[in-house]
Amino acid sequence: MLKKDLGLFLLILVVGAVVAFLNPRFLSPLNLANTANLIGLFGLFSLGEGFVIITGGIDLSVGSIFALLGVIFINLLVDYSLPWPVAVLIIVAGGVVLGAIHGFLVTKVKMQPFVVTLCGLLIYRGVARWYTDDGTAGFEFGQKFPALETLTTGRTFASDTFAGIPNSFIAFVVVALIMGVVLHRSVFGRYLFAVGKNEEAARYSGIRSNAIIAAAYVISGGLAGISAIYLAMYTRSISPASHGNFYELYAIAAAVLGGCSLRGGEGSVMGIVLGAILLQVLQNLVNLLGIPSSLNFAVMGGVILIGVIADMQLVRYRAYKANEKKRAGIVPLPAAAPGKN
Amino acid sequence: MKRFASTGIAVVLALAFATTAHAEDKKKLAFVVNGASDFWKAAEAGVKAAAAELPKYDLVLKYPEQSAAAIQIRLMDDLVAAGYAGIMVSAVDPKTESDALNRIGKQVALFTTDSDAPKTSRIAYIGSSNTDAGKQAGQLVLKALPNGGKCMGFVGLLGADNAKERIDGVKETIKGSKVELVDVRGDDIDQTRAKRNVEDTLTAHPEIDCMIGFYSYNTPRIYEALKEAGKLNKIKVIGFDEDPITLGGVKEGSIIGTVVQQPYEWGYQGMKDMAKYLEGDKSWVPGNGLLIVPTKIIDTTNVDAFWAELKKRQGKS
Amino acid sequence: MQRVTEPAAPFLELNGISKTYPGVAALDGVSLSVSRGEIVGLIGENGAGKSTLMKVLGGVVEPTAGTIRVDGRDYPALTVNDAINSGIAFVHQELNLFDNLDAAANILIGREPLYGGPLRLIDRKALHAKVQPLLDKLGVDFKPDTPVAALSLAQRQLLEIAKALSLDARLVIMDEPTSSLTLTETARLLSVLNELRRDGVSIIFISHRLNEVKSCVDRVVVLRDGRVVGSLVGETIRPDAMIRLMIGRDLKSLYIPPKVPPGAPALEIEDFRTTAFPDQEVSLTLRRGEILGLAGLVGAGRTELACAAFGVDRRLAGTLRIEGEAVTIREPRDAIARGLYLVPEDRKRCGLHLDFSLTQNISLPDLMTYAVGPLISPAAEEKIAETQRHRLNIRAYDIATEAGTLSGGNQQKIVLAKWLAMKPRVIIFDEPTRGIDVGAKSEIYQLMRNLADNGVAVLMISSDMEEVIGVSDRMAVMQEGRISGFLERDRFSEHNVLQLAVGKTVN
Repeated sequence: MLKKDLGLFLLILVVGAVVAFLNPRFLSPLNLANTANLIGLFGLFSLGEGFVIITGGIDLSVGSIFALLGVIFINLLVDYSLPWPVAVLIIVAGGVVLGAIHGFLVTKVKMQPFVVTLCGLLIYRGVARWYTDDGTAGFEFGQKFPALETLTTGRTFASDTFAGIPNSFIAFVVVALIMGVVLHRSVFGRYLFAVGKNEEAARYSGIRSNAIIAAAYVISGGLAGISAIYLAMYTRSISPASHGNFYELYAIAAAVLGGCSLRGGEGSVMGIVLGAILLQVLQNLVNLLGIPSSLNFAVMGGVILIGVIADMQLVRYRAYKANEKKRAGIVPLPAAAPGKN
Repeated sequence: MKRFASTGIAVVLALAFATTAHAEDKKKLAFVVNGASDFWKAAEAGVKAAAAELPKYDLVLKYPEQSAAAIQIRLMDDLVAAGYAGIMVSAVDPKTESDALNRIGKQVALFTTDSDAPKTSRIAYIGSSNTDAGKQAGQLVLKALPNGGKCMGFVGLLGADNAKERIDGVKETIKGSKVELVDVRGDDIDQTRAKRNVEDTLTAHPEIDCMIGFYSYNTPRIYEALKEAGKLNKIKVIGFDEDPITLGGVKEGSIIGTVVQQPYEWGYQGMKDMAKYLEGDKSWVPGNGLLIVPTKIIDTTNVDAFWAELKKRQGKS
Repeated sequence: MQRVTEPAAPFLELNGISKTYPGVAALDGVSLSVSRGEIVGLIGENGAGKSTLMKVLGGVVEPTAGTIRVDGRDYPALTVNDAINSGIAFVHQELNLFDNLDAAANILIGREPLYGGPLRLIDRKALHAKVQPLLDKLGVDFKPDTPVAALSLAQRQLLEIAKALSLDARLVIMDEPTSSLTLTETARLLSVLNELRRDGVSIIFISHRLNEVKSCVDRVVVLRDGRVVGSLVGETIRPDAMIRLMIGRDLKSLYIPPKVPPGAPALEIEDFRTTAFPDQEVSLTLRRGEILGLAGLVGAGRTELACAAFGVDRRLAGTLRIEGEAVTIREPRDAIARGLYLVPEDRKRCGLHLDFSLTQNISLPDLMTYAVGPLISPAAEEKIAETQRHRLNIRAYDIATEAGTLSGGNQQKIVLAKWLAMKPRVIIFDEPTRGIDVGAKSEIYQLMRNLADNGVAVLMISSDMEEVIGVSDRMAVMQEGRISGFLERDRFSEHNVLQLAVGKTVN
């Protein structure tokens, strides 16, 4: 697992070193804390996306889910004055339900994941805009939710000299650890890989592939629900027409950078985490180095492209090395007899 | 058979007459905005107020389903086809839409608002001057930094005309003073990036003395990022438009002031002027085709009154 | 119906063609000639060398010895282009058609008439005009613009033939062309063959349906163990004569006698109807400790029966009892829970995860057993993998090796290891030794016997005559979706199996 992600880790180190050299403030505690906060925000739902991609599917709807659940969340807190834990529960449950619907449509109705979640992308965005009548949902000036804010936008160990660790990042690390155990150590995780790699063989081994695939969408939906809360608390205002636009692409990019194959069956939580880190470092770099904002996406795309190409070369090199070892070490088995008529 | 035919013809004629009579009875006017936002709620209130005074007209405010030129053009074409007599539009992208605006201008009375398209067949522009608004913001900056300083700007779309004009207005005003506008960061209307741009600026440019939020949501994001970094009141904030957080900050004193447009007036005055024009009174159209509704500076002195009126107009009182 | 031939110069002459693979002679000095306008039937058991011979003619396989003369030209070996250029065309058992295109486009694929110009647009009018005469010639009832998806199997066969003719085929080789056709469709196809013959086209007709062979060919050539063992002409072409020639090779003795007599019924299949043969009902009983061979020709419905029992495919009707208890099986999971396992025919697609390690493959069907709560215990699953690797003698560097890097025999052992690590009551082997080297084969036979001796019921589907006769304790033979007969060990013979496989009775 670690070996595979080494290339990406090195890329982050190289990019980080270059930025730190050009602008030493990159390594200032405040900047690292700010970047960590955004890594947390974008990393949470990238993990869910990664799970879906490992089953060979894709979830294009997360960005729109943020808009829909975000406006509902603010609406529940501001207009209905619900206690925040209730609102949080409702939003996370909402994400789970949306994920379950996706899972049902993919596994039972046999629709293609791309189509299902593309429709989700359009529908949730539209419903979100209709829900607020195209207005912006935001907190009143000076409105405070101390406990909720501590959990979402607060920082731990903050002091006059230390910027503190953003709680969003801590949440991300905790979720990533749980997801890492689930994916790499649990029965469910093994089933996920088995189904993503070869659904037929998984079925022949007695795995209920439909349940496994649907569960991946539910996880993605649930994490999108949690992310919706974190994002809403970060911006504190949501214009449903633009909130979370294209965020699914950040998630897909993080997962793919982290070694998830869009064909399914491959990927690691460590990889997704590193992918999410790289994407946010790139965003940070554009601002710190004073690169024109308009080049933001171009920088991101360029580095991803170089990263993936470099990674492919590394894989090829390793395969070549492994082959050499094999040729040197192990005696080949006798050739198989010719096939029958 | 013959009788059926003649009855049929009679019915058709009657229907045709009825519909034309109805159409002549009430002329339809539309106010087409450039995308969905709270900003246009005030314009909608203005349009409604105008409608109350213009019983002979049907007035509507239309949102395109996306903030895209093509979608807005299609919306206007549909309105023309539906028999609208006048359209007032805030073009998403006046340059790419100029052909379409010319075409529509030949069929109906076309006015522009918010962002002008001067080289088209539009009759007049009724709205603010973003350059003037920028100049007013520049005055706020000069007042806030009498001894000079460095400013950073934040905006959604760097290339948009309204952004450019506002930025130019600020630059023109501060030219020759000791105040400098170091850079303007764009976020492609992504509020997460908008806030992150502010945070990164605090890291990359700790020497910054003032921040300007050029789009309505930029100022609240500046306010929040500064608040979380404990930099409120240390860095001067100047804003545009009337987001509740912006107004709250002005009231609190942590935001120097904000320059607001008067979309209510665009809706109210614009629709009334359009009706006048359709009735043959063209005397109000200025020679240069620009009817500027002045922008206002809101600071601690007038924020309460403005906010109260705004809430009333947005129906949120 | 015999034709008077004047074989001035045969179109095709094969002389002493041999093809040896390491350790195996697939073809051993085959000589065969086909005259212009002659229909030659080519028959032989599974494994007799028919496919290899066809591959030689198609230019896919290079013979190790012998010469080929086509239309007066000699070749040491044909290339694919030689074959096409000299007018040899194939109509395959698995049709090679594009469902999403129309008939004309399929016939002239890659050779479409184009409008001039850089865009290389297809001239559809010319395309259809070119195809129409071919279809007329075959007397088909579809048009050039009929989509292939709308054609019946017989029409598709005819389309394949039209495609062959469009290539100016002089020799058409048909591999089991009637295997999926109805009686009337078959009659239609056979009459087309006669028309082709009148035009001087030569045909090699490969089929297991001996009655059809009898009714349409001029001559029958019989292959056995890579050799031509005889040919029949005219009145001598009779099914019993053909069968007599097809069998009679020396079968190595593979039989390992059981240590215990068979016990109570372990698997009872009653009145099963599968989607492949919805009109046929199948019943069979498999007892503990016995190896029941399920023989039959390719496509007789054996795999379909196994898949329906294991829950991979839906069954239309029927009940299943395991050790006397009626069970409901909706998916493989249900079968596995009852101790009914399947070693599938297509091991790469269905049996294994090729880029999973030995450990991951072996533990997969029973992962919960190697888990503490929801978490896998690596020690437990590695232990079982290591045990199984030794028990089955899987030749891999270690248990972390990816299954896909191993030979076919070792891959098959991994599939077995998955099931042997659990508690099998019934195991269905579908073509257990296909593509596996000789050494691994005998290991797998020994394993089956050990399982049976330990009280497991084994159902072995095999198309390999040597294997099914050599390994089984008892045999069922299937034909066209039904069981055409059971054989006890004392009545095992190639003759009897073939008789039943082609739908005749044995006395």
